Amino acid sequence: MVWYGLGDEDYDRKYSDKVLIQRVLPYFNPFKKKLLLVIGCLFCSALLGSLVPFIGDLILNGKDNQTLLIVFLVGLFLLTGLTYILNYVQWSNSSKIIGDLILNLQKDAHKAVLNQDMAFFDKYPVGKLLSRINSDTTSFADMANILMESSSSLLVVIIIFIPMFIFNWKLALIVLASFPLVLITALSFRKAARKRSLQGQQALSNVNAFVNESMSGIQVMKTFRQEKKMYEQFNEVNAQSFRVNLRRALLLNFIFPTLTLIQGIVIAAVAYFGGILSSQNLYLFIQSIWLLFFPLFSISAFWPQFQSGLSAAERLFSLIDAEREVHQTQENICVIQEGAIDIDNLTFGYKENSNIFDTFCLNVKPGESLAIVGHTGAGKSSLAKILGRYYEFQEGTITMDGVDIRDFDLECLRSQIGFIPQTPFLWADTLENNVKYGKLDATKEEVMDALELAGGSDWVEDLPHGLETDVGERGKVLSMGQRQLVAFARILLKDPRIFILDEATASVDPFTETRIQEALEQTLQGRTSIIIAHRLWTVRKVNRIIVLENGKIVEEGNHEELMRQGGKYADLYNTYFKHQSLEYIEEIGKIKTMVE
Amino acid sequence: MTFQGKELEIPPDYYEKGVEFGLEEDPFLRVRKKGSSRWIIKHLFHKSNKFLVIFWLIFMITSTIAFSQLVVMLGDAVDYVITNFGNIFDPSIYKGLIRYVLLILAWGIIRPVLGMVGNFSRELLAQRMERDGRHEFYLNLLGKSQNFHDQQQVGEIMARTADDVRMLNYMVSPALALIGEAIASLVIPIVTIALKYPPQLAIIPTAFLIFLIFYVQKYFKRLGPVTRDLRTNFGEMNSVLNQTLSGIEVVKGLTLEEHETKKYLSKTRAYRDALIRQGIIEAKYLPILMMSLIVVIGLGHGILINLGYIPTSHSLEIGGIIGYVSLLVSLRRPTFISLWTFQVMRYAKSASERLLEMMNEEAEKLDTSRGKSLEIKGKVTFENVSFIYPKSKNAVLKNLNFEVLPGQTVAIVGTTGSGKTTCTKLVSRLYDVTTGEILIDGRSLQEYTLESLRSQISYIEQDVFLYATTIFENISFGRVSSMDEVVKAAKDAQAYDFIMKYPNEFQTKIGEGEDSVQLSGGERQRIAIARAFISNPKILILDDSTSAIDSATEDKIQHAMQKVAEGRTTFIITHRLSQIRWADKILVFKRGEIIAQGTHKELLKTSEEYRKIFLKRFDVPLEVLIKEDA
Ligand SMILES: Nc1ncnc2c1ncn2[C@@H]1O[C@H](COP(=O)(O)OP(=O)(O)OP(=O)(O)O)[C@@H](O)[C@H]1O
Ligand SMILES: Nc1ncnc2c1ncn2[C@@H]1O[C@H](COP(=O)(O)OP(=O)(O)OP(=O)(O)O)[C@@H](O)[C@H]1O
Ligand SMILES: [Mg+2]
Repeated sequence: MVWYGLGDEDYDRKYSDKVLIQRVLPYFNPFKKKLLLVIGCLFCSALLGSLVPFIGDLILNGKDNQTLLIVFLVGLFLLTGLTYILNYVQWSNSSKIIGDLILNLQKDAHKAVLNQDMAFFDKYPVGKLLSRINSDTTSFADMANILMESSSSLLVVIIIFIPMFIFNWKLALIVLASFPLVLITALSFRKAARKRSLQGQQALSNVNAFVNESMSGIQVMKTFRQEKKMYEQFNEVNAQSFRVNLRRALLLNFIFPTLTLIQGIVIAAVAYFGGILSSQNLYLFIQSIWLLFFPLFSISAFWPQFQSGLSAAERLFSLIDAEREVHQTQENICVIQEGAIDIDNLTFGYKENSNIFDTFCLNVKPGESLAIVGHTGAGKSSLAKILGRYYEFQEGTITMDGVDIRDFDLECLRSQIGFIPQTPFLWADTLENNVKYGKLDATKEEVMDALELAGGSDWVEDLPHGLETDVGERGKVLSMGQRQLVAFARILLKDPRIFILDEATASVDPFTETRIQEALEQTLQGRTSIIIAHRLWTVRKVNRIIVLENGKIVEEGNHEELMRQGGKYADLYNTYFKHQSLEYIEEIGKIKTMVE
Repeated sequence: MTFQGKELEIPPDYYEKGVEFGLEEDPFLRVRKKGSSRWIIKHLFHKSNKFLVIFWLIFMITSTIAFSQLVVMLGDAVDYVITNFGNIFDPSIYKGLIRYVLLILAWGIIRPVLGMVGNFSRELLAQRMERDGRHEFYLNLLGKSQNFHDQQQVGEIMARTADDVRMLNYMVSPALALIGEAIASLVIPIVTIALKYPPQLAIIPTAFLIFLIFYVQKYFKRLGPVTRDLRTNFGEMNSVLNQTLSGIEVVKGLTLEEHETKKYLSKTRAYRDALIRQGIIEAKYLPILMMSLIVVIGLGHGILINLGYIPTSHSLEIGGIIGYVSLLVSLRRPTFISLWTFQVMRYAKSASERLLEMMNEEAEKLDTSRGKSLEIKGKVTFENVSFIYPKSKNAVLKNLNFEVLPGQTVAIVGTTGSGKTTCTKLVSRLYDVTTGEILIDGRSLQEYTLESLRSQISYIEQDVFLYATTIFENISFGRVSSMDEVVKAAKDAQAYDFIMKYPNEFQTKIGEGEDSVQLSGGERQRIAIARAFISNPKILILDDSTSAIDSATEDKIQHAMQKVAEGRTTFIITHRLSQIRWADKILVFKRGEIIAQGTHKELLKTSEEYRKIFLKRFDVPLEVLIKEDA
């Protein structure tokens, strides 16, 4: 059974509170004014709230003077109106701040993740990343809310404390003595609380990752009738999330009672010493203690959320700060004119100690079409991905038109290369938009033309809404071959200098494939193209074929030459037609004559 | 399998209820139709949860009582100190003081302890709500038809299972708990006022209370659309992001990063806007104004009584007014609490509505009421089968008629999108036919339970899906198997060699993950082939399963396949002649119709279409053959 680890990801790091706060603060920068406004409002309304008893006192003392009484009552009236307005200003502004804060964080996280290279996505499941970008940002924003509330609460504490000191400094000192206790309690929970919160978030992202996987593979689950297995695994993940979050909640539930305990002790102490010191203002004092503990409580009541916020920030910044492997040394905006590719002494491996390529050399001349064939797992797709800078290679140089591909601006480089990966990817969008992803400002006609070029567009009319049909997530409403055609059309629309086709038509029937082939011949004229294929007949017409085996070129030449050589390629080619027993060939011959 | 600590057996015939998977008895089946509030309440009081509710209530009330005891003691102590001013050190008086202090201390300790016990049961309840809600939702998803899943976006489902369900948790803790507290701290002061002061003083706070109740209802309603938008937008955000990340390779290849960020931001912006709208509704929360007003009015009222303008039974001194006003002021906190707890409640309601909406959605269900568990021999008959995908208007399959005898191999060929895959999906009842009938061993598919049907059919899908787990687990996915069996299947599928290259061999993890390896396209297909081989099916369906495999390897797989196919009915969809040739029957598809069927030889002679593909397009380069022939 799979164990759903709660461990940190590789890119996770621990930030000290100081660093974390330094990172967090800039996010508040754009809202400085609003923030001050909010805190000011919070503070004022708290202050006004504590003014009410005083004014009440004044009113009571002056109740015999009727005009004064009315003045005070009206004043009080206005005061309450003011409180409401303050509350309105504070609340509406803080929701604006929080909304924008979330937005900015999500923007940064989103950009950071999209900038990662493929190795990163191989490592971290989408579900978990999703959880970070979407859910952690919201818990972070909750923290912002708390921050505002607590800072105003702190101000209130100070304000309350001043009169206490004036009335009776000895008792005030006793109360003050309890502060370190409160502080220590809060702080001692900090580490554990942060850890548990982090685990809680990790557990949730495990749920996310699990749901993502099991729902993406729902059809496999159904055909193999493995609902029960999935259900069991789900229960495990869910139970884990339950356990972890329960533990977190229980731990955090100690904080509040502990603080009330301290409060009880302080009050008892004040009662005692107040008695001994025969304080005149004992009543007022005790009132003040209630008032004093209120903001302290609200700070600590939000402590759990504050900790979740901090750990969410930690997770977010880890994501934003994650190192990339693919590094561009310069940002040359360079239009690739010729399309010459030079691979020199390339060494590459996805993991240490297991190189796919070792001192690999390859030269592609401008405008040449090159086919790569070979056993599965030979490294064909890997080569294509290296050229598109999806993965960083360890040694050697690769140049295009004489410029090191590490010196290109990445976006510029990729916009010159048309890469069709082995599995087509479609968005849950209309067919038209899916093709347009190759060229965002394309017209409908261009889209139709591209589809026509990519094996004919008659199938589009059979769809319920033609070009407007929503193709479903990953294009699941289309047949596999149709998805490949769409991916193909997209690249044709993009019209790049260099084509890299990784089994782009593997699931397309031969009839359609021939049509594509014919169209392609014209399109590829004068452009460099690298074609990876298993169906060998599709590559017969290319300029040069290389046979790749375990990351090495074992044979090279055009179809005729290689067939003449009688080596690996000829072998592959012959196996390909192995079914041609004599009897079969005869048959074909017969039919040939029959047809003619 | 266990659920809530109890052993849970799923009987083989529970599919009778029109779902493909589910519990024998679903306790929430009926209540789901009755709306989110009923559903939430049912969950709150489900099984042992109700004891937690009671437990929590008891402890919450007792701890509130302990608190009021503390306050009373404190008041008494202060009075005691004031009356005994100056001679506090008199031993008997000092003893009295100590007694008070100890009592205060005692209540000060008892209160948090009681509170803590209450909190624990509340937390347990909250977490259970989340767990059980998620359990129910996920289970429900598992039982939904393929049709339903075709229309969903995974990101959206994720948002619901992870985040919407969590709202149920927040609803209990802290929202419900705070509402309990708020009610207590609204009612207790008012009762105290009525008892301690001239009863008419209770009129104003009572009026406030009534106003609050009405207002909260309205407020709750007003928040409805906004919170719903928020949850919906969140789902969309998730869905957009999920797609971007799943297709990251293409996003990068087409340099669409900026475009994708823009797309995502348009969703998050909508989310933010809803958040601000929510903030403004909250900011206008009227009870806050009313609350302050009643303090003023109450003060005036008190003074009028004090001055004798309003006659009462008991007189009201200045101290009384102070006490009265402080009680009014203490209503402030519960008023503030109501402001945001009801917002959380509303979230929970909107989230539950979203959950229920999906759970209650009845996509075209498979009729499984007649199912029996039967052994399959392998004869498959299509009688006038036509099929239209729901939500699409054109028939994808039209009037299919053919018969396959047990143990035969059928090859399906045809152009892209001609309905080959769809045709095979109908056999394992991923979808039900629109008209016509499919028979296995002369019986309609409906007569089999899904369990018996699907467990005897193996299917290698066109777009291979592997789980992010070990190779062993992936191959043995369809059937619990021993290592030997897995090794054999891997060898047959030509996967053994490359698997053994990894240090962890069959325990190598694949897919996304820190210690996993990624497989090449051909390697993935071979794992899928092994997965299908191992389950020893009566009917084997191979959908273009060697498209990413080189011909040499394919050749080897084919030998294994021939072995595996022995004695089973096999459907192969392929474009490779080498595989088609050994088929007993070939079906040629064109735009959803079978335009020709027969053996290879027959078709070569009789079918113009087949020959056309064959001679001109098919894997065989004719000139070469003819050259060699000559
Ligand atoms: N992202 C990756 N991380 C780690 N290893 C990988 C990754 N992608 C591929 N590999 C491994 O590298 C080897 C070469 O893979 P590649 O995809 O280049 O093969 P290929 O020649 O394209 O094969 P096929 O014809 O099956 O697509 C395989 O053994 C594969 O397991
Ligand atoms: N889930 C679906 N909902 C609606 N239409 C669908 C769905 N799946 C497939 N189709 C449509 O049904 C038709 C037949 O698809 P099918 O996958 O059966 O084709 P195929 O013959 O297997 O093609 P290929 O050789 O490309 O795999 C296509 O036009 C496709 O767009
Ligand atoms: Mg298909």
